[in-house]
Amino acid sequence: MSLEQLRQDFPMLQQRLNNKPIVYFDNACVSLRPQVVIDAITQYYQEYSACGGRSMHKLGKRVTQECAVARQIIANFIHAQKPEEVIFTRNTTEGINLVARSLNLTAGDVVLTSDKEHNSNLVPWQVLAKQKNIAHKIIPSNPDNTFNLETYQNVLNTHKGKVKLVAIGYTSNLDGVTFPIKDIVKLAHQAGAKVLVDAAQAMLHHRIDVQNLDVDFLAFSGHKMLGPSGMGILYGKYDLLEQLEPFLVGGDTVEYTTYTEHKFLSAPKKFEAGLQDYAGMIGLGTAAKYLESLNYAEINQQEFTINKYITEQISQLPKLHIIGPVEPAQRGSIVSFYVDGVDSHKIALMLDESANIMVRSGQHCVHSWFNAHNIHSSVRVSFSFYNTLAEAELFATQLKKILMVL
Amino acid sequence: MFCIIALIIFAILGIFSASHRLLAKEALDCVLRRVTLRPCNTGFKEKIQAKILGQLINRSVRLTKFVNRYFEVLAWIFFILMVASTVYVMRGGYNFYMYGNCNGLNEAGFCVFDPTGANNQTTPINESCSLTPPSAKDLRFDVLKLTDFPQVTANTEKAVVFIGCYSCDATRKTYPTIRKLLANNTTNFTFIHFPIKPELNFLSNYTYCINKIAPNKLWEFNDAMFAAPVNNLTDKNYVNSVIQQIGLDANAIEQCVNDPETQKIVDDQFQQVVATNIYGTPTTFVNGQAIVGPKPYRVYQRLLSGGMFAEIRDYFARLTK
Repeated sequence: MSLEQLRQDFPMLQQRLNNKPIVYFDNACVSLRPQVVIDAITQYYQEYSACGGRSMHKLGKRVTQECAVARQIIANFIHAQKPEEVIFTRNTTEGINLVARSLNLTAGDVVLTSDKEHNSNLVPWQVLAKQKNIAHKIIPSNPDNTFNLETYQNVLNTHKGKVKLVAIGYTSNLDGVTFPIKDIVKLAHQAGAKVLVDAAQAMLHHRIDVQNLDVDFLAFSGHKMLGPSGMGILYGKYDLLEQLEPFLVGGDTVEYTTYTEHKFLSAPKKFEAGLQDYAGMIGLGTAAKYLESLNYAEINQQEFTINKYITEQISQLPKLHIIGPVEPAQRGSIVSFYVDGVDSHKIALMLDESANIMVRSGQHCVHSWFNAHNIHSSVRVSFSFYNTLAEAELFATQLKKILMVL
Repeated sequence: MFCIIALIIFAILGIFSASHRLLAKEALDCVLRRVTLRPCNTGFKEKIQAKILGQLINRSVRLTKFVNRYFEVLAWIFFILMVASTVYVMRGGYNFYMYGNCNGLNEAGFCVFDPTGANNQTTPINESCSLTPPSAKDLRFDVLKLTDFPQVTANTEKAVVFIGCYSCDATRKTYPTIRKLLANNTTNFTFIHFPIKPELNFLSNYTYCINKIAPNKLWEFNDAMFAAPVNNLTDKNYVNSVIQQIGLDANAIEQCVNDPETQKIVDDQFQQVVATNIYGTPTTFVNGQAIVGPKPYRVYQRLLSGGMFAEIRDYFARLTK
């Protein structure tokens, strides 16, 4: 399928604002949704917006059936052993919190994270450090922001036997750098630790195989992989999920209750409390199916072409610094940069105002990294397979103009 | 400085739009922080500045560069202009309230509160292409010998002199206002008929004669003349019928009107009015102050009372009675 045909799948790309087309370069925050996903969600609300997993009538059965299919699609998409390993959550943050709250970490247990985690994979451990006295340790990155396996190995050795969990991002939303997850998992398992991967930023750009990676837990969000907002997934190895106590309990999580007792259902049901976002589940299943149909090698090639072009065009601009490795191939689908003495928000607003180029500015929920490096903020250009080189050219042209002015 | 301008602009726009209301709130926060000597921490200025620059950059990079560099200076200039225009608007509002025109009493020129210029309309006298337009400053009240004209006297210093013609639209519009003014106030009053068209000159003779023979009937005659169709005013028969209707002796009036002595007096009256440099009807002198054109009632009332403060004083005096 040609790029132009592919773009036709995304209604937002067809619209014009102020008589100009949209250049959507904020995919690291929220990706666009193809028509099939929108249709699937709409179809639920129009045709069978009933209660799943409870009601016995035809509509109820259809909801239950569609959600089961969605779970199966997602399990296949990440190559889980069985659909029961897939828990529907609201987003990555909820998935990580579920593990943090349910893993029964105790005082002295060590949790390792990298030095550029999204707040969703940082704050839960900081809170546990205060509440339960666990030890939260940071693995410093290389100077070019790539993962330092040697340092990681040293940290594991330093805290031998105490590291219970390595909670780590798959791809950084700060600079697009992807971590060597397979090596990280291998070393963690050798040290007796479990691994929780925050794959929010990776799902749209990498084909993830949880069995091949051997990760214990993997969390991701629908809104970053063409799916609906407010819907996410926590994958967990089934035996581990069975050991976890649910942290959010109530309706639909239990087999039965008395006035004094209850018995939880098996995973994943015991983790999915309350009436679920059925439309979201079905929409996410459809998004996964859509992604399945794409050629990831082509996706990566397109993203690399754009990254290379932008990097070449802007890296030599005065006072401009690209965050992360110099080589575009190592930064995937993100170019994050800052300009000395220039407010990043100003650049982002001017790009938007002058040419409908939508990028994100600020600290991208990685405040800790910015504070540690004494950098105020950055402009993050994040693209996806539906972006074009022409859009990248427009961005580079506009940015050059803006920096001439500021 | 930018925050203040933004606050005012967005506050006005916020009346109509919720999104601008949020910006106004942000601007207010910024202003409050600045007046308490704290930095504005919302990035409000940068945000709006970036939006403006983003719009400009596609038109001219040089202009955008200039605006970016001198943004604060431009904000100051706009602020000063805004203060100046606010002062002018307030002055205009004050003038309109006080004198019925934004530009001041008897001033011409556009007034936003009176866009049709209704309060300045007059029927011009001796229209000619003079080098300098006629001005109310040239009007002379002292050349009038008021006892020569129909008068109502009262035991007061206050005086209203109303110069108009029966057929002039602006005079006809003003007449009820003057009647109301007289009804609500104790004042000396002089009525001067000043015909704009020669064919109406004879009406001045009637005014003089009615006032001479039956002064009390003059106001009834005036009411009838100002209410009559303009086309009828040149018709002597019509005028005579009015005279009969109000119960006057038509023969006596007719005799007086045709008396050469009457004509002499009326001509003298006419010359007195011309000597005032009157350039349009109606022209009213309230306590010696000339008012040209049909102004709102409040303008006459205030000038007659002795100014805005006198009006307030009178209001409270009435309340305490």
